[in-house]
Amino acid sequence: MAIRVQLDRLLVERRMSLTELADRVGVTVANLSILKTGKARAVRFTTLFALCRELECQPGDILIYEPGPPEPDLDDEA
Amino acid sequence: MFRLPGLPRLNVRVPFRPPFRTLGPGSVSSLLKIALDVAYVLLMIITAVLLLVLLASIFIPIANLNITVSNESGGRQQPLTRPLLLFGVGALTAYFGGFLLILRNLRMIFRTLTLGDPFQPDNVRRLRQVGLILAVVTGGVWLAQGVVAARLAPGVMERQGFGELLTPVFSVLVVFVLAEVFREGARLRRESELTI
Repeated sequence: MAIRVQLDRLLVERRMSLTELADRVGVTVANLSILKTGKARAVRFTTLFALCRELECQPGDILIYEPGPPEPDLDDEA
Repeated sequence: MFRLPGLPRLNVRVPFRPPFRTLGPGSVSSLLKIALDVAYVLLMIITAVLLLVLLASIFIPIANLNITVSNESGGRQQPLTRPLLLFGVGALTAYFGGFLLILRNLRMIFRTLTLGDPFQPDNVRRLRQVGLILAVVTGGVWLAQGVVAARLAPGVMERQGFGELLTPVFSVLVVFVLAEVFREGARLRRESELTI
């Protein structure tokens, strides 16, 4: 998908580790890692709210849109 | 929605919930899994014995053997030829072998039900295989019965009509639809896993 997650940059700017952010937000490191690497399919508003609260930013700082073809749908695997 | 005027609207809902667990360890699924395991072993033995008989029927002497084809009004005898014997035993072996493969897939599906995690992508493939094998086996039985009625027992056994295929076709379609239901379930499961 052409929606990129900018967690890497925000974490560096806030000098915060992924583990610390996961603890503060209340999700597992594994799930946050899925989000960070762009493998997530969707983000809950509650997670986005907690991320914005802990990183002191707006949703638009975390998610950016890049023009381009969408990535292949994983639903057609089966 | 069409409703007859003057009739009181019945708004009674009876929620049905089975008084037993259907998924997970110690549930009805695990009991059915045990039943499938037993049936699988029995079918494996039967298929193995039939395979041995099929191999033996290539070599055993059958010069003086006859078979009797009969119904209520009488019957007739005809010599047992080797192609006839091979056809009979081969058809039986294929029939039981087909159901063995179906049971193998069903056992694997029920294993996931016992674990409480039915919507796995592998179950979609297994259900599609069950549908395909069921179609081949029931179609094969229909054809074999047609051959027997036309060649071996003309006048004694009636030919199968297309009406006989209705139930098998319906069953096969239901299995394929179920496979699609599982595919949708697997998709939702994956989407849920990847929702943060």
